[in-house]
Amino acid sequence: MASNPSASLKIENLRCGYGRRRILEGVSFCAESGGLTGLLGANGCGKTTLLKAICGLIPYTGSCLCGGQDLKILSGRERARRISYIPQRSGVRISLPALEVVLMGFNPVLGTLQNPSQAQRARALDALEAVGMASCASMDYQTLSEGQKQLCILARAIVEDAPLLLLDEPESALDFHHRHHIMRLLREITSHGDKAGLVTLHDPALALEYCSRLVLLKDGVCTDILAPASDNLSRMEEALSKLYGPVRLAALEDNGHRRLALLPRE
Amino acid sequence: MGTTNKETFRPPAGTNHAARHRRLLCLGALLLLLLAGLLSLLVGKYPLSFHKALTGDGIHRQVLFTLRIPRALIGLLGGFALGAAGYVFQTVFCNPLAAPDMIGVSSGASAGAAFAILFLPASAAAVTVSAFAGGLLAVGIALGLASLAPGRNSGSIVLAGIAVHAIAQTLLMVLKLTADPDRQLASIEYWIMGSLNGITLDKIPFYCIVCILGLTGIFLLHRQILLLSVEEPEARMLGVPVGKMRLLVLLLATLVTASVISLTGVISFVGLLAPHIARLLTGSNCLSALLLSGLTGGLLLIGADVCARSVALAELPVSVFTSLLGAPFLLYLIMKKTGEY
Repeated sequence: MASNPSASLKIENLRCGYGRRRILEGVSFCAESGGLTGLLGANGCGKTTLLKAICGLIPYTGSCLCGGQDLKILSGRERARRISYIPQRSGVRISLPALEVVLMGFNPVLGTLQNPSQAQRARALDALEAVGMASCASMDYQTLSEGQKQLCILARAIVEDAPLLLLDEPESALDFHHRHHIMRLLREITSHGDKAGLVTLHDPALALEYCSRLVLLKDGVCTDILAPASDNLSRMEEALSKLYGPVRLAALEDNGHRRLALLPRE
Repeated sequence: MGTTNKETFRPPAGTNHAARHRRLLCLGALLLLLLAGLLSLLVGKYPLSFHKALTGDGIHRQVLFTLRIPRALIGLLGGFALGAAGYVFQTVFCNPLAAPDMIGVSSGASAGAAFAILFLPASAAAVTVSAFAGGLLAVGIALGLASLAPGRNSGSIVLAGIAVHAIAQTLLMVLKLTADPDRQLASIEYWIMGSLNGITLDKIPFYCIVCILGLTGIFLLHRQILLLSVEEPEARMLGVPVGKMRLLVLLLATLVTASVISLTGVISFVGLLAPHIARLLTGSNCLSALLLSGLTGGLLLIGADVCARSVALAELPVSVFTSLLGAPFLLYLIMKKTGEY
């Protein structure tokens, strides 16, 4: 499907930090719609800070454009309509049925006193079904496993239907199965052309498997941008080695697809 | 992805059953509350006959319409308001120990009432107005102070509330020290202990209207209250204007609390206890839990008031009975603490 330029995210010369401590020093890259962009880097390199800046949760200089629209000048509500944000751990802290948590995703399009309609409830249930959680709709969110909670929050992001998805290490608390399940879903959601996804990941193997582009961050600057499907292995090895120390990339053939495995170099 | 539309929408398994269960709970609590309200009309020093009151017996009629009905009404509405306000505070602060007096409303109202008892012309109306103003002023100062804090959040509101509570308590202590020990000090102490005694028809319309308006706002904003329980960055990314909305719902909850305690004096534990009972029964924080918090609060206050009037020759403060219920329940919550909320 042709990509929709209105959803792409363009970051230009973004600088920000906490108080006097500068974290990001002039980061620039573009996350195109119709694909999932992975943000890789060691702990403390500024991945989460970058997402917070894009969300307008911390002040920054430079620009963040979503579909050509400067996110900085938007109101909180307008920004919420353009961005679905999934934090590392969900901040839902009270007992609620999972369906109610998903319904929170409609808030940016509802009036302050308005309640979700039956049609919106149906869409929320569809979203739960899409992430394989329909049977948990009436269960207390607090009793779900971390993986189920993340899937529930992903269902909330689906109903938000915002053009830009920002995800902060959504796989960090998940087991092998749930990790791949959630990444597959993210790839599917962002592959339809009208959405762009930017996901921070700790696991480069997951990023190589599911992301169409990789933005590499080190010490607050963007060191490289990779396209795993088309870049040659030696260039990617070199770029990833700058982040993680000496690594080797091995290409495997799996049902006619090239899959990449990342190994530490002895 | 599935394509459930409006016509084919079926609630998920278990939702129907849970919703019916919650509806039945609310209906049962409403019936119990109405029965308790009727019972409270009959309890008191003067044996009342409904038949005589309705067929024109002067004294019976006067007791029913000027004393018992206003008292029962404030018991029902006041308990409902304290329970609902408790739900708001516990949800917004995500704190099971939060209560309507958390940010200084009770201590401010107490200081206001003591000020009126000492310095204003002796009238119950002056005490009520001064207590109402004191409660609102204390919360206004707490919220104003919290707004000055850098990176203001719910934590700074709680801390500012604690500071204002301490200041109001000090002021109250100073006022008590200057009070005439025989008359004024006793009046202050009795007011602080809380009672539905002395509530008459002429006092209640303004406070009832304020309380009902506040409660209407709380019920209308119920979805926003739930969203405020989500951590702030996430709530903001869901389009909630967190600072403004939190201020609005806390002011509404304060308004309903102040409108009740300015009439009754400080009533402990109802606002803490009722939301817990509601959540235990409904198993969640949905709209039905808010409604049930209110209904349970009404039952607790009416029940405590009936006990206060009937267990001894002299009328006891209502907080004696709400505390007798509340303290063991608090211990039960500590024992059963599961980390879920």
